[in-house]
Amino acid sequence: MPARDARAPGPRGAVRLVARAELRERRWSLLALGVVLGLVGGVVLGAVAVGERTATAYPRLVEAVHLDDARLIVPADRPALIEALPTLPGVADAWLTEAWVAQVDGPQVQYMSLAAGTAPHPGLVTPVIVDGRAADPAAADEVVVSERVAEHGTGVGTVLPLRMLTLEDMARFAVGFTPHGPATTVRVVGVARMPAWGQALPDVLAGPAFARALAGTGIGHAAYVRLDPAPGAAVRFDEAVAAYAAAQPSIVGDYLTPGVEHPRAPDPAVQAAERALLLGVGLFALVVALGALQVVGLGLLRSAGTARAARSVESALGMTAAQSVIARVVAAVPAAAAAGVLGAAVVVAAGALAPLGSQARFEPVPGFRPQWALAAAGGAALVVLFLLVTAVAAAFAWRRRALAVPEPAAPRAGSLAAVVGGSLGRWPTVLLGSRLAQAGARRGVPPVVTVLAATAAVAGIVATVPVGASLDRLVAAPQRWAGGADVTIADTREPDVVALVEDPRVAAVAITDTAYARLASGGTLGVVSITARKGTPPVELVSGRLPAAPDEVAVNPRLAAERGLSAGERIDTLATDGTPRPLTVVGLVVVPNENHGPLGQDLLATADGLLAVSPERNFPLLTTHVYARPGTADALAAELGGRLELAPPTVPDAIRNLGDLGRLPDVLAVVLAVVAGTGLAHSLLVGARRLAREMAVFSVLGATPGQVRTTLGVLAASTAVPAVLLGVPIGLGVARLFWWQVASTIGVGGDIAVPVGPIALLIAAVPLGAAVVAAVPVRRPRTPAVTSLAAL
Amino acid sequence: MTQQTESAVGAAGAPRGAAPGPALVVRGLRKTYEAGTAPVRALRGVDLTVRAGEFVALMGPSGCGKSTLLHLLAGLDRPDEGTIALDGTRIEELGAPRLARLRRRSVGLVFQFFHLIEHMSALENVSLAALVAGAKPAEATARARDLLDQLGLLDKARELPAALSGGQRQRVAIARALANRPTLLLADEPTGALDSDGAAEVLDLFQRLHAQGQTILMVTHSREVAEGAQRLVRMRDGRILADGEPSGPVEVPAGLRAPR
Repeated sequence: MPARDARAPGPRGAVRLVARAELRERRWSLLALGVVLGLVGGVVLGAVAVGERTATAYPRLVEAVHLDDARLIVPADRPALIEALPTLPGVADAWLTEAWVAQVDGPQVQYMSLAAGTAPHPGLVTPVIVDGRAADPAAADEVVVSERVAEHGTGVGTVLPLRMLTLEDMARFAVGFTPHGPATTVRVVGVARMPAWGQALPDVLAGPAFARALAGTGIGHAAYVRLDPAPGAAVRFDEAVAAYAAAQPSIVGDYLTPGVEHPRAPDPAVQAAERALLLGVGLFALVVALGALQVVGLGLLRSAGTARAARSVESALGMTAAQSVIARVVAAVPAAAAAGVLGAAVVVAAGALAPLGSQARFEPVPGFRPQWALAAAGGAALVVLFLLVTAVAAAFAWRRRALAVPEPAAPRAGSLAAVVGGSLGRWPTVLLGSRLAQAGARRGVPPVVTVLAATAAVAGIVATVPVGASLDRLVAAPQRWAGGADVTIADTREPDVVALVEDPRVAAVAITDTAYARLASGGTLGVVSITARKGTPPVELVSGRLPAAPDEVAVNPRLAAERGLSAGERIDTLATDGTPRPLTVVGLVVVPNENHGPLGQDLLATADGLLAVSPERNFPLLTTHVYARPGTADALAAELGGRLELAPPTVPDAIRNLGDLGRLPDVLAVVLAVVAGTGLAHSLLVGARRLAREMAVFSVLGATPGQVRTTLGVLAASTAVPAVLLGVPIGLGVARLFWWQVASTIGVGGDIAVPVGPIALLIAAVPLGAAVVAAVPVRRPRTPAVTSLAAL
Repeated sequence: MTQQTESAVGAAGAPRGAAPGPALVVRGLRKTYEAGTAPVRALRGVDLTVRAGEFVALMGPSGCGKSTLLHLLAGLDRPDEGTIALDGTRIEELGAPRLARLRRRSVGLVFQFFHLIEHMSALENVSLAALVAGAKPAEATARARDLLDQLGLLDKARELPAALSGGQRQRVAIARALANRPTLLLADEPTGALDSDGAAEVLDLFQRLHAQGQTILMVTHSREVAEGAQRLVRMRDGRILADGEPSGPVEVPAGLRAPR
């Protein structure tokens, strides 16, 4: 008996041989699929990387700048409070700076707030410099400004001649004054980034030399506090500050500092934009991932399907299913590696992308920020995914190696296909198309999966269109966020108002007044009144009506959502003497952002109602909103700016953040349409080509090319029509829900804009496009009918 | 069974092309395929006339051009040269839609592997052909039921092809080919995928159809099957080699006596 050849290939050798043959035969197609998966997977992972950068921009900035937990302005005539502040309950650390209010010398009336400490505090309020440099601690004339000030033209290099106000000047703000503080000139050397500028964190920060040079000339102090991490520290601190404030009244009242600011509290303006962005990125990644899986999966299935004969031979030679699958997986390793490397490279490259939309303004480390861990993990995941899909496709092909035709089932009585086929049987195209549509379940990807994927895509596209339109409408229509005045005068006296009313260029004049209402349950709520002095100033009423009596208020939608308020309900407030003063809610209205806090925190009352709630208003100034007649706004603003303090045209942060989303919803809709359209087209084309035999039979029976096309169109419509019928209402529902959530988060009306044209176009285009795409194989047949039949 | 077949064609109506005269006239038909580097000359000048009501068997070795000829006659492919007159209509220059209409009116095709639509019942497979030919739905269903009844398959009308035997499937395919009452029934190896019982069953059916006046052109490899036809045409290398009665002397076309 001859000795067994030690080198004779066993099962492992057979696997190796088959793998080598597979690699030789299909290396290019496998590599192409690997490249597709790598690129698309990289795009998906890149979207995840950008999403992560976007989602973490704000918290990373909070940590980078050592954001304080609490801050407040302490007027100079409350020395006891500033002295005791570091030792107040709940305080773990504090940085005390001096605060100034200065009039900027120039043609326009303009005021600025500044703060500077005699020594920097490394653990509190360390803004990120995004342009220029930090102020030199030894230079008394250098300052850095906030980005929002820089956006209004006061950037690096700007020289600001300042005349400081004393606390007494501040107290006379409403009646007129001349600044009595020292004069100085500063130069802007840098632009600083912080997550939360506010009343207590001035937009202009100077260095220790400035603080020393002007020591004792400010209107008070700005204090930044790190609170004890123990629960309740914030409440204890707030109560202690309130107690000190009550014990030592200031000549400026409370209007400088209505309370302690807590800058780490969640900012709805940031949250709304962040939510919109992450939903968009998530949707994008999901659709691209599904599309890629579909294309690569079908590609591998088709590739495996063409080698059925080889499987039959392998089976006849005694190879097991596992060995056949392993051989294919081994052959796919180079392509999988290509997918992994390419995907990882795309993720690394995505590090060059800034956070999306408004969140870019919170990025603490602008520039290239590669995510190595995600790239490595994502690359490995792509390798595994490619091999996994290869294994599944190979196993599927092994099962079908015998060319067994699965036993089809007749349409169930009452099924859609039976009904369609029966009632519309007068058209053979419909009869055949409906039967083949049902048969698709046994020919690869179940039709329900394709329909669901198409439905998800249609819903996604439909959802983005109204959201984008609503966003555009919100940004373009300031009256929707209670803005839109051509000129806003920060400090108005009655003669000025009378002059405006008589000015023929002025269409409408509204005076707003603000106060704080004390709630019976504790805490305060901002109250705003609007008095029309001329014309009809626009007011954005969401539902119900405007208040008409002193005990009536309208609430902002956000406040209503937060507190569960609706028309007819009561808000229990206390008058200054402590007597109960219930207010009845009569409607929802977008309340002007007069208290400089986030949009949507206030109540709207009548002027009498406001005085009843708070006879001593928190800010003894009236703000006047002027609406000019067409073509007169610029001239009016220029003229008024020379003698009155005009408030710069500001857009609430929430609106600005949403506006920064720009064309993102439209881009998302286009990307969704391209990706989903490509996936659907690929699926329909593959499906139509699988039906080459049936179409050839149909053609042999005398069907014209047009009838064959129509049949494939019916088939495609069986996917596209349900996708549209389901996707459009789902998309509109999602858009409505999403927009309502965004709107109620920022405090504007939640009614959604539905652009009928684009959606109608989509409804028509999806089935039509699907039918056209499905008919492509008929127009350009790869295989003539006769060959299709001869091959079987 | 004879009675059944008689009534089958009777119910479906007499073939429209059953009038005296040629049902098919082919002259100088040539077809070359570009396969790989070397062109394959499938047909090298075929002349053939089939009279109405004839049952012709076309026989020859693999690759001799039988199926190519059949596909050209059915308008599924186009000749490079030559003419085809089907039912008096020249088809070689017709566009695809007119060819399709001609096919639905004048041609019935039966294949070796049946080519039924797997996801339609036997009744629907036959009805589909009638519908394509322009019948109204009720008429198509009645015609299909009638044909299946005559071919002994009415009890299988609701079955899908996968549930039928090979012979039954081929009978459904024949019923489908007859659903448009064709002038010419073309059959490409109709017994090739059947066992001997099935083959005999199909041949018997063809003979009875022929007896009722149906014109049939059948491609076959089988000498036994070919002998069941009225006339036998032999092909080799893309040419007609002989033409005559299956059991008698065959006439060799003049062009083949002295090969080029």
